[in-house]
Amino acid sequence: MTDVRAQQVGTDGPGGQPATRPAGPRADGNGRSGEPLVSIRDLVKHFEIRGGLLGVSKVGAVRAVDGVSLDVARGETLGLVGESGCGKTTLGKVVLRLIPATSGEVYVNGEPLFRASADQLKRARRNMQVVFQDPYSSLNPRMTVGEIVGEGPLAHGLKSKREREELARELLAKVGLNQSHIHRYPHEFSGGQRQRIGIARALALNPDFVVCDEPVSALDVSIQSQVLNLLEDLQQELGLTYLFIAHNLAVVEHISDRVGVMYLGKMAELAGVMELYENPRHPYTVALLSAVPEPDPRRRRKRLVLKGDVPSPANPPSGCRFHTRCWLREQLGNPENCATVEPEFRDIGNGHRTACHWAEEISPETIQRAVQRQKPVVSAETPPSDAPAAA
Amino acid sequence: MERVELNREGLVLPATAPNVAADHEEIDRTPVRTYWQLARQRFVQHRLAVIALVVLVVLVALAYIVPLVTGPLFGRTNLAKIDAPATLEAPLGYDELGRNTAVRLMKATQTSLTIGFAAVLIIVGVGSLVGSIAGYMGGIVDNLLMRFVDIVLSLPVLFIILMIVALFGAGNVWVVIIAIGITGWTLAARLIRAEFLALREADFVQAARALGAGHRRIVLRHMLPAAMAPLVVAAALGVADSVITEAALSFLGFGISSPEASLGNMLTNAQEYFYSAPIRAVYPGLVLVLIVLCASFLGDGLRDALDPRQRIGK
Repeated sequence: MTDVRAQQVGTDGPGGQPATRPAGPRADGNGRSGEPLVSIRDLVKHFEIRGGLLGVSKVGAVRAVDGVSLDVARGETLGLVGESGCGKTTLGKVVLRLIPATSGEVYVNGEPLFRASADQLKRARRNMQVVFQDPYSSLNPRMTVGEIVGEGPLAHGLKSKREREELARELLAKVGLNQSHIHRYPHEFSGGQRQRIGIARALALNPDFVVCDEPVSALDVSIQSQVLNLLEDLQQELGLTYLFIAHNLAVVEHISDRVGVMYLGKMAELAGVMELYENPRHPYTVALLSAVPEPDPRRRRKRLVLKGDVPSPANPPSGCRFHTRCWLREQLGNPENCATVEPEFRDIGNGHRTACHWAEEISPETIQRAVQRQKPVVSAETPPSDAPAAA
Repeated sequence: MERVELNREGLVLPATAPNVAADHEEIDRTPVRTYWQLARQRFVQHRLAVIALVVLVVLVALAYIVPLVTGPLFGRTNLAKIDAPATLEAPLGYDELGRNTAVRLMKATQTSLTIGFAAVLIIVGVGSLVGSIAGYMGGIVDNLLMRFVDIVLSLPVLFIILMIVALFGAGNVWVVIIAIGITGWTLAARLIRAEFLALREADFVQAARALGAGHRRIVLRHMLPAAMAPLVVAAALGVADSVITEAALSFLGFGISSPEASLGNMLTNAQEYFYSAPIRAVYPGLVLVLIVLCASFLGDGLRDALDPRQRIGK
């Protein structure tokens, strides 16, 4: 039984998909369907900066996540992108209540998570799991693979050691690892194998919702694709819902049904994956997409290089947080509301939401003009290493 | 949904890249070793630690067996043998009261080792309890506990110990142990707390929390083993420190006093004969140095042995 399943995962050739998707209604490329599995409402996470003699007086706060609302539909993969420090990892941890939120609420299956009691929280944890970025630090080096994978079931009352081992073997096979390795320690495995162990651990409680926090960013490119394919296969087999956090736009484009773009702790844009990549409606998204490396060296690239650095999240700009670096605002002659009015995260049709006052002004022409306007930048032609979106 | 090509990476990968290593059918025959087997192998590689362990074991064996066999001989004076030279019966000769120096030295070593190890139990126990609570809870609890540690640290340790010993009975081994223990745990507490503060945010701890593991399991199974390195270092330093503190106490006449034997009071006695028989200070001094050195080498070896990421050579 176990072996057969493993075979399925293992030999699933190119394009070979199970005929049916047990995931149930799955969001198509452009919108949502059904009840959301996870609803995030006005989520705020501020890290207080303390100072003073005793270190108890507050002197400020890093606004890592500053009012984010999102719905994740059952069975979909919601990609979340943004440059380093935009708050996407913090968002993932707060959503799982791994770190306490400052305000806001998360509903999982309609149940409020932050108001849950210790017992309710523990029950809720069975339903939501996490895969971390770093396959080296995310596994306890002093526990065997079997113990690591069996930890969740143990915490939830599976006391029999033999049953836990049985389950661990089954899960290892499911993620494509050798079952006889359950008595080995994490350091005996490669990065990709460790990431598979992390995935098996997350799946041990049979969750509906998995936060993938940059699960492939620390892996070699060839291993990345293997792990991504594994995640997709598991999603189809088990009907999982992913919140997929990443900074690699190509990876996100591949795996996501919908994609959200974060900037300085806020959502900048959210749309179906095709829609977002073909028809970005936020100047920041446009700049991000233009930074994606082009595989064809003969094609001339027109990169839109953003000026300056990301402002400090401890002291974000007024109005639209992006206005200090916005190419569109410049072109429109610095309209006042960009710097004074915080843009609403509005729906511009088809579930495409953007937080830009002037989203309708974005067109191939304005983008073209912005590219031409910018001073020639040497790095624009060489493969970028400083690009905000490059891995 | 097509399979990955990562085209935007600029890398063309075969879409048929095998998703899964095809090895899950066969059984890996390389021997599976348990945690403790692996730890032993890593420890054996640490040559100094092995030597230290051997020396310490010999020392402990002698210190606990010789007084057991000879009984009260260590304190028996014999006027006929004052300052008598070494014989087969007394390989280190006799002292100014005609006591068998070798037997007395072993009894003294026993006292000092008992004090060293027992005090270190208190030091490590209290230290890791306070340190792990402070580091795990953080916030106000951490602040309060650490300020308390600061207060304890700011006290003149030797003076406090002297006071405790004077109040509760000089010469009682257990009073000395407790006095050393309750003044010496601060370093261990600080080391553990610092480690816990970092570990609290570690991915594997967060993962355990996400799985629904309780506080006790997170602390005992995940964080404390990971904090083993500073704990072992604190213990090794603690043994050395306690033995030296006991020697200082006895030297000042507040620790263990004659006719009982300790390395400290043997040194005190020896100072009167510093010019006529300097060798009398060398014996207890040498044992003291041996204990302290062995404790720290052993600590080094244990720290490495208990870290599963350390490679096993050969």
